[in-house]
Amino acid sequence: MSLTIVRLYHDLLGTYGDQGNAEVLCYRAKARGFEVDLVEVNPGEPTPRGGDIYLLGGGEDGPQLAALEMLSNDGGLKYAAAGGATVFAVCAGFQIIGVSLPAASGETVSGLGLVDAQTIYPEAPRSVGELVIAPTRGELPALTGFENHQGLTQLGPEMPPLGRVISGVGNGYRGTEGVWHGNIFGTYMHGPALARNPELADAVLQCAVGPMARFDDELAISLAQERRRALGE
Amino acid sequence: MTYSPRLKIAISLGNIAGLISRSFNRGRGETLTGRVILAICPDAISNLAINRDIVLVSGTNGKTTSTSNLVEILSRLAGEGVSTSRSGANMPAGIAAALAQKPQHRLAVIECDEMYLPAMYRAISPTVIVLLNLSRDQLHRTGEVRKVAQLWRDAFTADDVTLVIDRDDPFLEYAAAQSGHVIRASFGGRRHPDAATCPECSQILDWSKGNYSCKCGLGSKLPDVRGDKNLRGPQRNTVLIIEAARLMGAEILADDAQLILANSPDRVSQFDINGRMISTHLAKNPESWREALAQLNAQQIILSINARGIDGRDTSWLWDIDFASLQGKKVVCTGERRLDVAYRIKVQGVEVCVASDIEQAVSYFPTGMIQAIASYTAFQDLAVRELGITKVQGERK
Repeated sequence: MSLTIVRLYHDLLGTYGDQGNAEVLCYRAKARGFEVDLVEVNPGEPTPRGGDIYLLGGGEDGPQLAALEMLSNDGGLKYAAAGGATVFAVCAGFQIIGVSLPAASGETVSGLGLVDAQTIYPEAPRSVGELVIAPTRGELPALTGFENHQGLTQLGPEMPPLGRVISGVGNGYRGTEGVWHGNIFGTYMHGPALARNPELADAVLQCAVGPMARFDDELAISLAQERRRALGE
Repeated sequence: MTYSPRLKIAISLGNIAGLISRSFNRGRGETLTGRVILAICPDAISNLAINRDIVLVSGTNGKTTSTSNLVEILSRLAGEGVSTSRSGANMPAGIAAALAQKPQHRLAVIECDEMYLPAMYRAISPTVIVLLNLSRDQLHRTGEVRKVAQLWRDAFTADDVTLVIDRDDPFLEYAAAQSGHVIRASFGGRRHPDAATCPECSQILDWSKGNYSCKCGLGSKLPDVRGDKNLRGPQRNTVLIIEAARLMGAEILADDAQLILANSPDRVSQFDINGRMISTHLAKNPESWREALAQLNAQQIILSINARGIDGRDTSWLWDIDFASLQGKKVVCTGERRLDVAYRIKVQGVEVCVASDIEQAVSYFPTGMIQAIASYTAFQDLAVRELGITKVQGERK
């Protein structure tokens, strides 16, 4: 059993520690006996089209747009997603996979359009703090993360959010947080999200490989529980 | 220098407040002194700065150590008294207190928080500003690196000050771009991973043989000073400090500079935990963690992490750090966010356990040398604990 995980543009989308999501996925997949190939794609390099899971993280505004332009021109991520690959995108990465987002000048640019989500930058203060959500899919427990973003993201009518906000801001529209549409995940949760939420990490892995053996990683479970408890869940 | 009666009263009352604070063992009292001074005389800082030669020291890492190094060099080599804050209090209150302490000294070396640097530059009109480095810090407070760089760039538009910068840091070059006088020290290479993208246009910087350039035209400038490329962060800061000292009139020959460099201390403290001396590094952000990790040579390591305001409330940055050097060592994690750091290093293949407090952490290692790295407030907790123990012993006598 082998699995290819593709981490995109760490230099551009690595400001908020989300690169840890790739390490967690590798760790949990290896624990199930998978042979994991972690592919680092640097800016300027082509994105492989045959990966199983693609990861995007949070970054600053300028680098975000630079990443969007490169991903758009390269076409690899869009091709892989259309073919059923799993995508897990955080914050700036989440905004990139939507249909539109603001450019530095204030005008709107087109995103990759993997999900129907539109991001705007309101005149409101930045959303910074712990975020707790009740996942839309019943099999997951409450999820926690740390959000730090200016943009607010409105999902299209057909788009199921990843969860409903219990505390924090999330997408900033109607109490939604993130998106989980088919094999595409978007979220504003840093932490990294998959380190603080092992059940979510397994949900992402299962999109790519199907049902897996249980893996009771005590330290990961303690961390998730401790965070939930600290945030009143 | 004669000060207004109001400022004199402000200083007197501030000193009394500081004295009372110290007598209750609540730190050095500098911040309280400064708060009282500023409450009574809001423009105290600019008044206290008149007719003095002042160096401001700012940057993400190494401010306190560099400030005290510069004070030492200047008082030794310039043969004059130097006003400074010894405690690392680097916001306006701490700065006011530092300037008010021995205002007869012509020279002052003042550590300044990154966010307050533009305001302190305007208030103080310093002779020299040392910009040590700019990398990711508490994202919830200072925001992203390029926002700080922009804040500085917007402030430094005149030629009334000399900036001393590490020219290998593109964010510092960007911050200094509109300034008239810049002394650039180069160490022949990219300083930290945050320097991958252009501060101006966000495209990937083209790094080649220690120089960088960008399609938009931004690029590294010729250095005025060259340092060894193997120097670590703290020593690079010392090279910048030596240049600042020269600008302030200290005669420093090459041999002196070598000696200063060899002796430049790292920020390590010894704490006595149940009779064991624990050599502890203070590390506040990814870059200072990398520096601290590179210096660990013991086999028994304690990592202590909190996520209170000044530590950064989000611990995600732990995943920016490569902990592979801990593989094969025994590591105990403690502090309020011990599980976050423990899980991060476990995923990297490090043998780890967690302890509810520092005493328990130490008890995992009955013999042998122990080294520790602590985040800001975790380090402070250790320092306060040390203070408490000293006090109890004093009373017993």
